[in-house]
Amino acid sequence: MLIVSIAWKNVWRNRKRSLIVIIAVLLGTAAGVFTSGLMVGWVKQRTHSLVYTETGHIKIHHPDFLKNEELNLLVPHVTDLSAFLDQQPAVKASSERLKCMVMAATSRGTTGMTLQGVDPIEEMAVSDLHTHLIPNTGGYLDSKTPGSILISDRTAELLKIKTYVLTEEKRVQLNQNGVPTSVTDKLTDLDNVRYHTEKRYQRILSERLTAEEIRKYGSALTSEAIQYRLRSKIICTLNAMDGNLVSQSFKVGGIYKTTNAVFDLTTAYVLKSDLAQLTGLTINDCHEIGLILNDEEAMKPLQDAIRSHFPTVSVQNWLEISPEAGILSEYMDFFYYILMGFILFALAFGILNTMLMAVLERTKELGMLMAIGMSRKRIFTMIMLESIFLTLTGSIFGMGVGWVIITITGQTGLDFSVIGEGFEAMGWSAVIYPSITPDFFLGVTLLVVLTGLLASIIPARRALALIPVEALKTDN
Amino acid sequence: MNVIVINDLVKIYDSNAMQVTAIDHVNLTIEDGEFTAIVGPSGSGKTTLLNLIGGLDTPNQGQIIVENVDITAMSPKQLIEFRLHNIGFVFQSYNLIPVLTAYENVAFIMELQRAPKPAIERRTKDILNEVGLGDRMNSRPNELSGGQQQRVAVARAMASKPKFIIADEPTANLDSKSTEKLLEMMETLNQREQITFLFSTHDQRVMNKAHRIIVLEDGKIVDDYRK
Repeated sequence: MLIVSIAWKNVWRNRKRSLIVIIAVLLGTAAGVFTSGLMVGWVKQRTHSLVYTETGHIKIHHPDFLKNEELNLLVPHVTDLSAFLDQQPAVKASSERLKCMVMAATSRGTTGMTLQGVDPIEEMAVSDLHTHLIPNTGGYLDSKTPGSILISDRTAELLKIKTYVLTEEKRVQLNQNGVPTSVTDKLTDLDNVRYHTEKRYQRILSERLTAEEIRKYGSALTSEAIQYRLRSKIICTLNAMDGNLVSQSFKVGGIYKTTNAVFDLTTAYVLKSDLAQLTGLTINDCHEIGLILNDEEAMKPLQDAIRSHFPTVSVQNWLEISPEAGILSEYMDFFYYILMGFILFALAFGILNTMLMAVLERTKELGMLMAIGMSRKRIFTMIMLESIFLTLTGSIFGMGVGWVIITITGQTGLDFSVIGEGFEAMGWSAVIYPSITPDFFLGVTLLVVLTGLLASIIPARRALALIPVEALKTDN
Repeated sequence: MNVIVINDLVKIYDSNAMQVTAIDHVNLTIEDGEFTAIVGPSGSGKTTLLNLIGGLDTPNQGQIIVENVDITAMSPKQLIEFRLHNIGFVFQSYNLIPVLTAYENVAFIMELQRAPKPAIERRTKDILNEVGLGDRMNSRPNELSGGQQQRVAVARAMASKPKFIIADEPTANLDSKSTEKLLEMMETLNQREQITFLFSTHDQRVMNKAHRIIVLEDGKIVDDYRK
């Protein structure tokens, strides 16, 4: 116990020097913890979005459907399968979907996409897409309103359903939101002029406003000008079950936006009954069953149970559907520790230097300690503890600072919109909410102790190499 | 009873390709409870002899037997343990641990001996009272005068209940008043606790107090007398 007490007191012999090292460790640890928190939040959001918006925990298909999404590749024995799933306590909700590749067209644009025919009640229990609806852009699908289609903001832009238009009313709203009248007054001649692309609208703005005004208010002027032409007609054309080309007009009932640009661009929703009628299938048919489970741990056992009862279906979990997200999620812990390891490894050199100085300055004292009978083991322990204390003190405060930053930014989110397009194109959110688990702090603490230990080896060996009678002759 | 018996001790240093004989065939016996001063000019081998007796250095030849144990045959690890339990050291420049209080400096050696806590507490307080520092137990070395620091060093050397105490020029850095006080204290401890003191010195006042004087010159004992 006395060794512990002496080691702690020794840390504070040269306050200034110790504080410099402690602050360096603090900053390094805080940066490492925060960066890890950012990565955790990022991956967590991606996997959450993947499971709860896009895929569900498990998807069931006809075995050939994923290779070739043809209308006739329906999930076999769907009635029995549904009954089986209803009996499984692990299953929280399921949704039977029809899926069909279509060509969607408006008078101004066309795009190819997958049309998903769903039962709104079932789908809302499996996917949180209804929470991604853009405010004031209609609503979710309603079984009482056939002929309605739910498209994404990005699809709306492609089909020119999303337009940019300023009105007197919108200019007043912009002034209330802090955009000066001197700016909005320059745009009065744009009132009620409709622009079909963001690029064109922004070019017009840049012709009228200074670069500084664009930098300050461009984003507000753009978002306020957005106007969706709800109830616009989209003609969807597809090959029906009988091989004939069929078309149907759907009215835009709502607009959604997720963080996955690819998903948004390729997915639109209609009522299952509408799609069944259009394709020539029945309401009881389905191409895909999406499942949400009560507990992710039950994923593999449930897959095995489904496979054993229905060997003719393909059962995939989200990790198999999106292996890249699965790998990230699975190995992320490893990455955090690698990151922290690198930071601490770099800091270890500073700690090593400080400890070497401390040993050098105490040569005579260490000689005296050996002379009066302090064993080499105890001297090694004392120096090792000094190094650990030095590292641990900085790290504890660093972890505290990192945790505070993560807690604050975890509430507010960090907006990476400037480079967010790139993220969203890969399915990752541009607004990240950092988060961290207590396990991580435990892991970091162990890494810190290990760093302290490693950094103490050379100074401790230097101390142990001292010959008491020689050390006692020195001036230090 | 003989505490220390030295037989034909030789210590040779290699210095710049030259061999310097620091201790030259010394034979010596120190009895229990002696208050002995080793004197001689600089370079006569006083400190070397004390280092050899204290097990801090190893001889080239000869034996040092402490209470029937030949310490020259011990490994470095055994010597550390031996010093901890058998020898007390008082150094010229006090060599206290600066981050510890007077109390902690004295208690430290007993902690190393793994003595029970109540015993450590009792003995530390007793010794510090004995050396007249009962009211400075919580002072750190930098808050004490040179004389007070050396008294803490003596208390530390006493604390482990050693067979003998080696003091290398203990008064060299002290003024005359502090020297007087320290010597009186060491003499009292020697008489009261029957602890053997062996010190090197140039100081005439120390020599006056010593009961036995051993004179070294060029590594040889040239005179050895009791007063």
